[in-house]
Amino acid sequence: MLSVEAIASSVASGFLLGGILALTALGLSIVLGVMRLVNLAHGVFLVAGAYLAFFLLQATGIDPIIALIPIGAAIAIAALPVQRFLLEPLAKFGPEAPMMTTFGLAIVLENLFVLYFSADTRSIERDYATVPLALGLVSVPLVYVIGFVISVCAIVAVHFVISRTAFGRDLRASAVDPSAAAAVGVDVRRVHALTFALGAACAAAGGTLIGIIFSFTPASGANYLLTDFAIVVLGGMGNIFGTLIGGILLGVLQSLAGITLGDGYRDLVGLVLFLSVLAVRPQGLFGGHTA
Amino acid sequence: MRRMTGHLQPHVRILARRHVIMLAAGLLSLGLAAGYARAADEIVIGASVPLSGPLAGFGSYEQWGYKRAVDEVNRAGGITVDGKKKLVKLIIRDDKTDPNVTASNTETLIGRDGAIAMLGSCTPPLVNAGALVAERRKIPIVTACAPLESFKAAHKWVYAWDLFFHEPDLASAPFKLMKDFDLQTNKKIAILHENGPDGQVVGGQVWPGLAKENGFEVVENASFPLDNTQFNSTIAEAKSKGAEVVLIMAITPQAVAIRKQMASAGYTPKILVIEKGAEPVQFAEALGKLADGVLVGGYWDPSFPFPGAADLAKAFESETKQTSSQHIADTYAAAQVLLDAIAAAASTNAEKINAAIAKTDKTYVVGPVKFDENHTAKLPMVEMQWQNNKQVIVWPKAQATASFLFPVP
Repeated sequence: MLSVEAIASSVASGFLLGGILALTALGLSIVLGVMRLVNLAHGVFLVAGAYLAFFLLQATGIDPIIALIPIGAAIAIAALPVQRFLLEPLAKFGPEAPMMTTFGLAIVLENLFVLYFSADTRSIERDYATVPLALGLVSVPLVYVIGFVISVCAIVAVHFVISRTAFGRDLRASAVDPSAAAAVGVDVRRVHALTFALGAACAAAGGTLIGIIFSFTPASGANYLLTDFAIVVLGGMGNIFGTLIGGILLGVLQSLAGITLGDGYRDLVGLVLFLSVLAVRPQGLFGGHTA
Repeated sequence: MRRMTGHLQPHVRILARRHVIMLAAGLLSLGLAAGYARAADEIVIGASVPLSGPLAGFGSYEQWGYKRAVDEVNRAGGITVDGKKKLVKLIIRDDKTDPNVTASNTETLIGRDGAIAMLGSCTPPLVNAGALVAERRKIPIVTACAPLESFKAAHKWVYAWDLFFHEPDLASAPFKLMKDFDLQTNKKIAILHENGPDGQVVGGQVWPGLAKENGFEVVENASFPLDNTQFNSTIAEAKSKGAEVVLIMAITPQAVAIRKQMASAGYTPKILVIEKGAEPVQFAEALGKLADGVLVGGYWDPSFPFPGAADLAKAFESETKQTSSQHIADTYAAAQVLLDAIAAAASTNAEKINAAIAKTDKTYVVGPVKFDENHTAKLPMVEMQWQNNKQVIVWPKAQATASFLFPVP
């Protein structure tokens, strides 16, 4: 039987890690909520962020946490032409064509990573990534706390952009009814392009944190994509705070599964939860809406 | 006019069909002729290795080992078969660390590329997937990188041969090391292992048995799937139960994640063994100083007193500018065994090559290779330790190339 300290530490770690995973899922949720696009390349954008952070650190010595915004911006800029020239022209053929295109894109990008960066396992080496933080009975990795704070700040910032800015107003209008939004002068194409870029930026920021906390390879994106789908379904498509709560909920439940069944059953719990919510409450536990 | 056309159309169709059939037959015969021409000029052997996916760290070394053996034979003029000297053509395909791809690659290499013999992939799921196809096609396959018990358990092999370490030797090495160095621990062990075939054998059966035999208490035995990267609860349990010895069997991405999570949980056991995942240099590159002190079983080192051992590592490092790995040696030796067998058979006939492989009795770069009735050849084991981003031999003491670092820093 585990000690109370070990159980409390595991649950606290799951809570914090869930918050970090919510950031990785946020982009998927926004793109799904606004563009109705299941972006199967989301996991690859996450890995792209991790690689960019890794090589940036090697080349310049700049800490990836400090460079989080430029890393997100760089991946967002790289994602813009993908939306403009690959996905946008296919949108008129229904949702399947862009979705399958993102699937193809994921395979192409994964192979490019292998070609240019090799298939080696990488990890972003930072001293704070291996330091425990003791808070009374509970001991959690310091990097989880850092990641959680960053994640919450990023999610609040995205919420602010969507709920308080002109772009956010356009985005919400486009999410509800793109035709009506276009009729009242909203540039829906621009909104979709920026939404896709924002989603990629969130994935890259999350990927950077994942690269610091764990390890990654060109193929790592698929695992996180599955976890992110579970979080999006839990939180509701496009529901920003729902995504945060969904991530935390999943993190805690996976920790409980780890304690009771073993860490090998973490993903099983996530997927069972994913299917159960889909069956019982497909709009998500907190309803699906943008902002 | 319409009627005439109507009468003519079937005739035209028949003529067109005949032309298409003739054209196809012509192309097919040309293709076959080209294939036979290639087969007549070269000896084609195939290999499916993991050049991408989680095991890519191993695949690049395997590719180098196989290629080097073939290049050496070709530089010496090739192999004499059926009275004529022929060059060897090695075709390598990436199996993406997926047993299904290994199987389909093997089918393609034998069926389309005309491979008369095969070289294996890495780890039991991939090796066995390819070997089963080769077995069905009655094509000999020589492999390394598959622990012997897992290989033996998969099939009663006729055409597949494996030279690698024996799991009981690997599993017992840390216990022998602790005994020989008379290491003081609280005798509590945590075992963490992936649920692949070799993980189940070593972590699920052999390590717990050896722990009991050697007076240790197994306080935790956790298994996990190959794609798991979060180990918070497992590590928390090992820490809370005070395990001073941790034995892990995991692939490299997991090994890196586990070591980082142990450090971030403030948990450093006195002895930390990470089999499989801690073998490639990427493990130390990803972890830096955290890799120091980690033990991993080894079956080869350039310091081994076998012919060509030191030269092999030097050749790898000068060609690739990377640190060498033991995987260059077993794959190099496996390819040499196959090439020697083709030379001994003096034929590309599968049965003759297979019979020649069975008679292998020679010392290669990994040591003496002689297959037993299960088609396996056991390589001797040492215990290696990461120290300052380099692997050094720390056990047996007679073969040690550096002092043993204890406890884990």
